[in-house]
Amino acid sequence: MKKNDLKSMGKSFTKYILIIGALLILLDFTFHRHEYFSFAEIYGFPAFFGFVSFVFIVMLGKWLRKFLMRKEDYYDQ
Amino acid sequence: MISNFIPGLIMIITSFLLPTIPQYFRHPAMLLSVGLSALSLFNGYGTFLEWDILGLNLILYQSDSLTLPFAIIFHIAAILVIIFSWHSKNLMEHMATLAYAGSAIGALHAGDFFSLFIWWEATALTSVFIVFAGNTNAAKDAAMRYLIIQVSSGVLLLIGACLMLYQTGNHNLAVLDLKTNFGIFIFIAFGIKAAFPLLNGWLQDSYPESSVTGTVALSAFTTKLAIYALARTFPGTDSLIWIGAIMTAFPVFFAVIENDLRRVLSFSLNNQLGFMVVGIGIGTELSLNGTVAHAFVHIIYKALLFMSMGAVLYRAGTTKASELGGLYKYMPFTTIFCIIGAMSISAFPLFSGFVAKSLIMSSLGGMGMVLIYFILFFASAGVLEHSGIKIPYFAFFAHERKNKVKEAPINMLIAMGIAAFLCIAIGVFPKYLYQILPYAVEYQPYTLDHVISQLQLLVFAIIAFLFLVKFKLYPSEIRSTVLNSDWFYRKMLPGIGKPLFKKIGLLTDSLYKNLGLSFKQVLSKSYKFSNLSYIKVTTPSFAGTILISILFIMLVIVLV
Repeated sequence: MKKNDLKSMGKSFTKYILIIGALLILLDFTFHRHEYFSFAEIYGFPAFFGFVSFVFIVMLGKWLRKFLMRKEDYYDQ
Repeated sequence: MISNFIPGLIMIITSFLLPTIPQYFRHPAMLLSVGLSALSLFNGYGTFLEWDILGLNLILYQSDSLTLPFAIIFHIAAILVIIFSWHSKNLMEHMATLAYAGSAIGALHAGDFFSLFIWWEATALTSVFIVFAGNTNAAKDAAMRYLIIQVSSGVLLLIGACLMLYQTGNHNLAVLDLKTNFGIFIFIAFGIKAAFPLLNGWLQDSYPESSVTGTVALSAFTTKLAIYALARTFPGTDSLIWIGAIMTAFPVFFAVIENDLRRVLSFSLNNQLGFMVVGIGIGTELSLNGTVAHAFVHIIYKALLFMSMGAVLYRAGTTKASELGGLYKYMPFTTIFCIIGAMSISAFPLFSGFVAKSLIMSSLGGMGMVLIYFILFFASAGVLEHSGIKIPYFAFFAHERKNKVKEAPINMLIAMGIAAFLCIAIGVFPKYLYQILPYAVEYQPYTLDHVISQLQLLVFAIIAFLFLVKFKLYPSEIRSTVLNSDWFYRKMLPGIGKPLFKKIGLLTDSLYKNLGLSFKQVLSKSYKFSNLSYIKVTTPSFAGTILISILFIMLVIVLV
């Protein structure tokens, strides 16, 4: 197998996900999405919420390393 | 006659007979015992076995619409675990696993708090051997801590049951509230096993230390038994909504930075329990259905994910993200099964997580609980992060792998295949799952609004992941320990206690020495035994001092 298998897989995966993402946003304009809360009916709200939540989780997690991360043998010392 | 036999008991009896059965027939015998126990699923609802002992009426076997779905899924989980461990020759682990599954099934059918207590402790005492079977020093230490915590939960349950009997004259399982003292004891007992915030340390401590197959068994029973118990005794308890919401959100951050993928899954398990606890807290028919449905599908996809990581551990020797990657080439089937588990837990439409989680989200939406709704929506993005992406990505992709490994053994692939099939089948045909839920509620998960909303959330969260990786913002895998609530009793308490006890020890040592001498002098004067060598007044050791101190404190508490 070629060495850059993973890279090319990653590239085509990114391409398809972006296409699907764009389609989902476009679809939002074609019908009225009913939600339990009116502000969630804004175009692309779940998409925005998903993106921001994900970035927030990862960045906060990364910052928490300062407080929560110890050496692998921490409990054996 | 078989209809009066407590479900699960036949599995416990079989587990004790396993050593007498030749190695080759052990797994078929285990499967047979689960099959025999599963016959009880056709008994219908009612009370089938009671026992009057010591003036107490114990309800040993009862069944209703809440026990049935849990009983079905516990039997399925037992079958999956047995198939997954077919290659293993570890007798102790097989015995423990079968007895553990049997105890959990027995617990579901207990009709009073004392019978529940017996099974509650039985699950603790059997499962500790599964942690023990991890067979490393770390596993043995974790097993001891696990045992202490689990037994404590049982003791609290017993205290609650006794107080309840004393105060109300009743000990049958009933809906309780937190206004009574026994209600609080029982609530905390269940809360420990359900891994409430700050009571959760044991879960992430012990599960990842267990063996390749052991973790799969552990992930299915203990915590879901606690969810069942909470759903039976505390439905509609408001505080559970907040406890559950915190449980969904907090473990997410720990899972991001944890390196051991089986520990990541343990944090993820904790987060999933949060969704179920919220459902119990809301307490409507729809939300309780949601909790049961979620527990049902969760057991399958969580077992699937733990099985895929078990297969990785078995073949590659580790589940540390920092040392894995690129396994998709060598373990293609395991990769596919893992991705199916990942998509199920992330609640992609057409996968089982979607049809279960929608029930809980809809009941929250219907009640207008906007904040909790969005905490759970946020946590859904978190589930995608740690279980949907992190697990498959770091194990099977991430980097090219240098040394070859083999695909998982056939029995593991069969077990994973069955679980993966169930994940998709339930996702595509949810009505069969809905039919066995406790309440008859008409519900349609596949509306365009629902599907588009969920897909937008998930797809854009994946885009966020690609974005973070592209710009090198995603945290790299680092070999490390992530502090969790077990830190309090693994580091803080010993940190305070050890020097303190040492000081007390020194103090009492000198005190005893002085006392001892004067005691000897008194003896020698009054009885003139001073030349007899066998009279010796020894000073107690350090451990002895601690023991005496503890006994003294207990005595004081009892007297007060």
